[in-house]
Amino acid sequence: MATSQSNKKPIGRTILFGALTAAFYTGFFTYGDNIAAHFAQGSFWAAGPIATVFAVSYLHGEFASNLWSVLGIAAISKDAKKTVEATKRPAQRPVLNA
Amino acid sequence: MDILSLDPTKFIDLSTMAIIFLFLVGFIGGLVSGFIGSGGAFVLTPGMMSLGVPGTVAVASNMCHKFPKALVGAIKRFRYGQVDVKMGLIMAASAGIGVQIGIHIQRIILDMWGQAGSDLYVSLSFVFVLVFVGGYVMKDAVKCARCGGVEETTALATRLQKIELWPMINFPRSGLRISLWFTLPVGFATGMLAATIAVGGFVGVPGMIYVIGVPGLMASATELVIAFAMGLGGSINWAMHGMVDIRLVLIILGGSLLGVQLGAIGTTYVRPHMIKMVMATIMLIVAVSRGLALPTYLVKLGVMNMGPDTLSLLNKVSFASMCMALLIGSGIILGSMWIGRRAQLAEAA
Repeated sequence: MATSQSNKKPIGRTILFGALTAAFYTGFFTYGDNIAAHFAQGSFWAAGPIATVFAVSYLHGEFASNLWSVLGIAAISKDAKKTVEATKRPAQRPVLNA
Repeated sequence: MDILSLDPTKFIDLSTMAIIFLFLVGFIGGLVSGFIGSGGAFVLTPGMMSLGVPGTVAVASNMCHKFPKALVGAIKRFRYGQVDVKMGLIMAASAGIGVQIGIHIQRIILDMWGQAGSDLYVSLSFVFVLVFVGGYVMKDAVKCARCGGVEETTALATRLQKIELWPMINFPRSGLRISLWFTLPVGFATGMLAATIAVGGFVGVPGMIYVIGVPGLMASATELVIAFAMGLGGSINWAMHGMVDIRLVLIILGGSLLGVQLGAIGTTYVRPHMIKMVMATIMLIVAVSRGLALPTYLVKLGVMNMGPDTLSLLNKVSFASMCMALLIGSGIILGSMWIGRRAQLAEAA
């Protein structure tokens, strides 16, 4: 993309996180039914699905982000980062302009 | 706590078609969600149920995929400077109370009128909120588009910001200062709607824009913070009852994490009124879709007579139109990105 923030495409990171994500999914779905049955026991097993989705968010999220960059789809850096100042709070006490 | 542990043999066998369907809906839902702050859930839950997933498992699995998706989308849009974290957390806290009261109302209705009454309440809330809010958002988006895409703070928000009612809160990121008492009802309504129709963002985003005065781009990004907080709490609750089918969650996440990032990137290509346009379009189509599902509940309640074939046809058309809402929404997003990209390339040349 013409206005990508960096011209260098993260090919290495895409391959790394792509491989890690693929390995995670392969490992999981090899025992998918078994793992799902364990997680469905509830109670303390609730930590299982929550931890799993956090792990996937990181691995697959990184992969997806880098993948779009490699494909040339990146955000346009406009002035979105500008923080607008809130209206000043009116003075509560009278001020003497001497 | 009472454990309603689900019999794992009741989990569906995943066919290739089911996997492709969930992945694709996840991707399109993620795309819309990254762009407007909410979306996809209204197709995923009935979609999973049509594959044979029990209702509670479908709702729980849907919620469990929603919060990590919202987290990734929120981080991405935070990097673009679009998220008001302070606003998101305050709204999420009041939304949490709204969820509890929403669930309580649902229980009362269930006790008084049974499942059909509950279904009718959900559908009527869907139709009423979507027609009323969606219509207003669409009117504003069209007005915005006509005057060159310049967003203005509504008269209501301006008036509310002027009222000095303790405690006043500064939101430097959104560029406004408003009393806590005016943010609470918006968060509360978001939670109530989330507990009723599972898509709180349909009230949360317009509420932030028109009542509080948050810019559209920032409201849709901040909604992701609320979705994350509410989704995490809800998912832990469902998971402790053993209702989450982690296989379904991972398949949907596979698609939605790709989509949510693309949707977030898309927001930097378009003018803010496009977010309102996409949101209103989806809301109005889903309203028609839910309207078509109303006769089923009216027949169950004995208020109306209609043949089973007609009802089945109406339900199919209803589901197809919900899928269409997502497809049209994603079409507008991708189309706007394409136009934005061409304009950028032309400028650079």
